[in-house]
Amino acid sequence: MRTLSSFLTFLLMAGICLLSTPLNAQDKVEIFGYFEPQVLGTRLQGNFYQTFTNKLRLDLRSVLSDHITFAANVNFITYHGKTEWDVLEFLSEKIVSSVPPEMLDFYVLRFEHEIFLDNAWVKLSFKPLDITLGKQQISMGTGYVWNPTDVFNHKDVLDPTYEQPGHNALRVDVPLMGSTTLTALYSPESTWAESTKLVELKSRIGRFDLFVTAIETLWRVHDYTHFDPDGMNFVEHPEKRQLLGGSTAGEFLGLGVWAEYAYNWMEKSDDFYELAAGADYTFVSQTYVMVEYYRNTLGKTDASDYDLNDWMRFFSAEQKAIARDQVYIFGQHPVTDLLSLGLQTIYSISDSSAALVPTLFYSLSDNVEVFAYLSFNLGKEGTAYARKLGDGGLIRLRAYF
Amino acid sequence: MKQAVIMLIGVLLGLNSLSGQALSGEEIVKRVNDIMSPASSWAKSKMTITTTSGDKRTFVSESWSKNKGEKNLVRYLEPSRVKGQAVLMLNNADDIWMFFPRTQRVRKLATHAKRQKMQGSDFSYEDMGGGDAFIDDFASTRLEDDTAEGFECYQLELLRKPESDASYSRLRLWVVKENFVPVIIDYYAEKEPERPLKRLVASDIRLVDGIPTAMKMVMFNQEDNTQTEMEFLDVKYNLALDDSLFTERNLKK
Repeated sequence: MRTLSSFLTFLLMAGICLLSTPLNAQDKVEIFGYFEPQVLGTRLQGNFYQTFTNKLRLDLRSVLSDHITFAANVNFITYHGKTEWDVLEFLSEKIVSSVPPEMLDFYVLRFEHEIFLDNAWVKLSFKPLDITLGKQQISMGTGYVWNPTDVFNHKDVLDPTYEQPGHNALRVDVPLMGSTTLTALYSPESTWAESTKLVELKSRIGRFDLFVTAIETLWRVHDYTHFDPDGMNFVEHPEKRQLLGGSTAGEFLGLGVWAEYAYNWMEKSDDFYELAAGADYTFVSQTYVMVEYYRNTLGKTDASDYDLNDWMRFFSAEQKAIARDQVYIFGQHPVTDLLSLGLQTIYSISDSSAALVPTLFYSLSDNVEVFAYLSFNLGKEGTAYARKLGDGGLIRLRAYF
Repeated sequence: MKQAVIMLIGVLLGLNSLSGQALSGEEIVKRVNDIMSPASSWAKSKMTITTTSGDKRTFVSESWSKNKGEKNLVRYLEPSRVKGQAVLMLNNADDIWMFFPRTQRVRKLATHAKRQKMQGSDFSYEDMGGGDAFIDDFASTRLEDDTAEGFECYQLELLRKPESDASYSRLRLWVVKENFVPVIIDYYAEKEPERPLKRLVASDIRLVDGIPTAMKMVMFNQEDNTQTEMEFLDVKYNLALDDSLFTERNLKK
């Protein structure tokens, strides 16, 4: 009921905004977006589960003047089928047996219908700088699957190009000499200390783009072995995180190459670093191949050391990897003008486990596309890509308007 | 007086014919390159892909180029699926950036990405040319003159230079003598040296701002039995384009 009320409020507000806009600006309001039905199937311990989602993304964009652009989108998502997942079903017996019986019910992820304003920003563009204010996409780093310098987003390894959520921020981009740009970003929380502050300098040397990034943020990490009855959540251990990193992308010996590194100074826990490096190539036959290596020293080198906190922080996107060293390999070939087939392989060097993910992309019409993948986990119990995580697949249709 | 004018035209035609006979393959390719890479340009184009099954996909884009194609920017307008996607190519497409509006992400691509199909079409980014690819990547030889698409043409063979990484091992061009527009280009791959992989046919040649322009081009993919039609809806040349247009900052707009 509350959701319906929010929806009606949104429609009302949108209508008021549109109607109250001066006619010349109203003429420029573009409305577009997409509808995305999706089915996710998982075969888990002999049972087959399916989750259906319907997502409608409605975008508004208006160029209010030569210097001012407004854009926003609202997302409506409904979930059907299996909408409750007990995380413990995916984990090894060793880890499940370590959970106190009174806490067994706390590890259930629930997906409920949702409506949310994902992005809403205004951009002021002047010759010396651009200012973007509001909830906006923040894309950091040159890595394809993993981005050590990105403290805002957590990509899905099986679906790394899917759009990320918007973040509330004030962003200033100042073009300096030549191709050099300075970016300053402030993402506010309750206090200055809790807010994320970012400064990035981007330049170009030869055939390479170079970025140097400094970030201070509050890392909200949880202890998933202790529950806080007052907060009705797991106990939070926030701590200051200071990151200094850099990334680059360019060409070397005919290969596309990129690298990204970030060192993190932690207020309480151990410092850690992340490194991603990759290369890609397109053959004359138009077959495309890519490989990306990732190291995260928060990850562990031995599967027997993974504990409940590691897994839960990974599932809840607090930590980008559970294994220390991983490799992602992707190959794709356009079979016809409309159909491309590919194969993703994710290999955890640390625990010798792997997942195989064949992919399909098909253009059904000018504005309708289908993306599908199957996923097979091949590792031993307890590893990053253990068989117990289940096999599955996803079919996603997206109709743009 | 009338006779004198006719004589003068006759002499000029004769001179043109003589100079045509004297042109080498390299010189003709240079003239082709001059026609195809104007100082600056803006165009709105429609690209229609026809697949083996007869399905069609249509894209509309706007593009700007400067410094004889050394700087290029392409921005897609239609369909909704790709609207706002943009490609910036600098240094004769040695540096390429793609912008994806839904993720607000700019991705730097290596030059091998030029081999990829443009939005799944029969044109690769490499085929769209720009810069001096015909001169830098190929050695030209003039063959016997021929007639193609109803025009008197120079016929040229372009062989890939050993140091080049161009996708095609050989090109064959039919260039209209009158205006140096290539009306047919055959693209050959190494694996099948005698049968063209693709054929580009240009038509509807008009004089736009003093530059002969093929308003329509069709790329026939002999291997996949598909074709892609590229049509200029509007085109302008020799515009005063600011360098700031060809920046990553503008790419995101």
